[in-house]
Amino acid sequence: MSKTVLGISAFYHDSAAAIVRDGEIIAAAQEERFSRKKHDPRFPKHAINYCLEEAFIEASDLDAIVFYDNPIASFDRVLRNAMTVGPAARDQFDKAASAMLGHKIWLNDHVKRALGTLGKAGSVLVAEHHMTHAASAFYPSPFDSAAILTMDGVGEWATTSLGVGRGNQIEILSEIEYPHSLGLLYSAMTYYCGFKVNSGEYKLMGLAPYGQPKYAQQILDNLIDLRPDGSYRLRTEHFGYLDGMVMTNDKFHAVFGGPPRAPESAITRKEMDLASSIQAVTEEIVLRTARHLRKETGERNIVLAGGVALNCVANGKLEAANIFDNIWIQPAAGDAGGALGAALIANHVYFNEPRKPHAGKQDRQKASLIGPRFDSNQVRAYLDRQGYPYHRITDDAERMRAVAAAIAEGKIIGWCVGRMEFGPRALGARSILGDPRNKDTQSVMNLKIKFRESFRPFAPSVLVERNHDYFEIGCDSPYMLLVAPVRKERQLPMDMVKFRAGDDDMLSVINQPRSDVPAITHVDYSARIQTVTPESNPPYYQLIKEFERQTGCGMLVNTSFNVRGEPIVCTPQDSYRCFMRTEMDLLVLEDCLVWRHEQPKMADDENWRKTYELD
Amino acid sequence: MSRQCFEYHPSTAYRFIPGLKARVPHESGGYLIRANSDGFRCDHEFSKARTPGKRRVLLFGDSFTAGDGVSNGHRYSEVLETLLPSTEVYNFGLPGSGTDQQYLAWKDFAQGIDHDVLVIAVLVENIRRIASRFRRYQNDQGQEVVFAKPYFTLVNGALALHHSPPERRPIAEDSLPPEERAAVDRGGRFETIRKLINRAGLKEIVQKVTGYQPVPEYGSASNPAWQLMRAILTEWTQAETKAYAKPIVIMPIPLYQHVEGTSSAKAYQKRFSEVGKDLGCTVHDPLPDLRNYSSEDRRKFRFPIDIHPTREGHAAIAKSLAPTIARLLPEI
Repeated sequence: MSKTVLGISAFYHDSAAAIVRDGEIIAAAQEERFSRKKHDPRFPKHAINYCLEEAFIEASDLDAIVFYDNPIASFDRVLRNAMTVGPAARDQFDKAASAMLGHKIWLNDHVKRALGTLGKAGSVLVAEHHMTHAASAFYPSPFDSAAILTMDGVGEWATTSLGVGRGNQIEILSEIEYPHSLGLLYSAMTYYCGFKVNSGEYKLMGLAPYGQPKYAQQILDNLIDLRPDGSYRLRTEHFGYLDGMVMTNDKFHAVFGGPPRAPESAITRKEMDLASSIQAVTEEIVLRTARHLRKETGERNIVLAGGVALNCVANGKLEAANIFDNIWIQPAAGDAGGALGAALIANHVYFNEPRKPHAGKQDRQKASLIGPRFDSNQVRAYLDRQGYPYHRITDDAERMRAVAAAIAEGKIIGWCVGRMEFGPRALGARSILGDPRNKDTQSVMNLKIKFRESFRPFAPSVLVERNHDYFEIGCDSPYMLLVAPVRKERQLPMDMVKFRAGDDDMLSVINQPRSDVPAITHVDYSARIQTVTPESNPPYYQLIKEFERQTGCGMLVNTSFNVRGEPIVCTPQDSYRCFMRTEMDLLVLEDCLVWRHEQPKMADDENWRKTYELD
Repeated sequence: MSRQCFEYHPSTAYRFIPGLKARVPHESGGYLIRANSDGFRCDHEFSKARTPGKRRVLLFGDSFTAGDGVSNGHRYSEVLETLLPSTEVYNFGLPGSGTDQQYLAWKDFAQGIDHDVLVIAVLVENIRRIASRFRRYQNDQGQEVVFAKPYFTLVNGALALHHSPPERRPIAEDSLPPEERAAVDRGGRFETIRKLINRAGLKEIVQKVTGYQPVPEYGSASNPAWQLMRAILTEWTQAETKAYAKPIVIMPIPLYQHVEGTSSAKAYQKRFSEVGKDLGCTVHDPLPDLRNYSSEDRRKFRFPIDIHPTREGHAAIAKSLAPTIARLLPEI
């Protein structure tokens, strides 16, 4: 009997929905892509609507609707924390209690209001937060059995979970519980360095290569008690999140000699070194935990999820350490992926459905291209209705030739083709593309297209067969979740004298070519790699292949199709708007090419740089 | 986000995007729509040749027929298929259209399609839409713009087609001359008062107290709007008879005020009865059947806010229409 399950994550950050039929992922999407509010935590009514659309199923025919964490258990944590900490935790308790009691407890009402039904089960089922992360990591992976490691800020109680998946069953072996949390430690440092919690962690990771791990020992001496097996205890008196609404407190600030950096102020050597230090500590914890997990489970494969699994530098170190033979990371590793995990765990555990077979090394995540698509008919309906000029090129080869030639000429391309990605990375469906050989690409993309900090690196999408020509990496990296060095012979010497002597101007480093593909080579000669196969994303592969044919270079610069603070685009409308607000040259919407110089002036009286809250 | 569902069409002004598959958010929780490759919300691909062993009905109408508010499978066209064995119903319903655009759809998309019965479902409010020349639309930036629609006028008793093809681009309403601006379809009469009353939640009370007549155009056989409707139906049915000589059913679909008894239906019933007799068509009036249900059940024929038929409303229309169609269909 076929089973269709809807998974929902909501009310913390990055709400999302996913739908699974008989263990096959049909669709998944984050609410922010539809609501256009970054990290939107609200009930994901648009994402649910899309999932039902893709599955083409009446909501009343859903076999189960599953929420990604247990609100009662979460409330229990908040309550017990309040009782332990006392009156100082009142603000935090009030906020958490109103979120729990105001939203989560009334899940059935939310769903009924949005869908008009609770499906065949007649009630919303709830799963455990870390179990949904574990499920999102294991079930879509290509492994029949694997060790499971999930690490994030906090779920109900668990912040780090070690487990094992075999067949269609998952077992959690041990957990570290709140308030001890690697995710919260990283977020505390993110906050201290002046970046936004729950979104700025990525920037901190990008900043790390500019610094030295000078504060690593101070972190280990003062903030965390790290044990040989990777387990840890935070020294909670240094953190503000137990009894307040901020991540750090005066004791934390005292360890590092001053108050947090003000957001948007100049980044100094101190932040670079702090970023490098927390990154080093994180990598050490991940490696120790992985060694312990290998020993405990005897498994050859490891799967990862939870927000910490988005730390692709740590993932790269884990891969390079060869603790496990194979590694697979859920591309929607954060809370959004909990929706997928919730649907999968209900399918495999509650309904005891077997896992779908998979072909060879291929996983079951479908390249994470499991969001909405807007086909050529829909694209043209939009462009025609708005009266925007475009050129339709139905011949794939001809179209790829035109686009690849534009990139080779130094043009920046908006690319909205196929089903949207699930997860925070653009993987060649909603991407901005450029020429990695061009030394100006990084600064042009950062300053004229993305309007973001110039230190942030860009990632390469490389043909899978050219991966080892460019990078020192032992495996494929389909989801841009592994960082590895650019091959030595491609690296170019950099003049770091001034910078190492204490000049904080990162631009003096950034503007130097670091390899023959400078736009994707970070200052430590690393790159965040996406390997592309002909099967994973055929049009994207064809484009890179054509670019290789024209230039000899088998890769493109790939960054997410958005501006700073804006969710990645979803629809042709979003794409056109973002395209016209930036200095991109060409927009590709399925088989339609939209050249900027042919477009009418956009009647846009919105002060859009203020529309999106800075991330 | 909700998907753009329609694209420009030079004959009817717009149609569903061919091949569209979408779920439309709605007060009911949402509904699924699927369009075929001709751009109509029909699960069947339109085939000129017969499907062996099947009888075929062609059905034209507006959103009540296209099924706004319910999924494809719950519309009266699909319910009819379950009530009439070995029968396929080709649904040409076009939301927001008038009988004029539906006639143009017949001319453009139904030619050569072998069939047994033609059903022209006229939501009685369509009489107002055929007099309009523009329709309102919200663009992707949330601004209200208007689009031209094709329309007919009567010139010396004959239909003259205008806005054919209609302008493709949106038009700013305030750029239209006053006469044209008056021909923008605003979704009903008394726009400002209606908005105020609706906002106050007093719509039904006010309508009941005032004996509101939503379609006064049917009050006289000489009303220009009725004259135009009559002319469209005349030309359409004559062309159908000339080309195919198949039975034609005209079905006036009542508004909820008629179903729930707050407005009199006598005027429009009289007009359609007259035109049916004159044209030699079958007029199927579902209102008596719908009025046979309890007032509680009748209220369930529409949504709490949206006036389109619910699944129950569609089922009741199908149940009323099925015997009429059955009589006209050939034996299997």
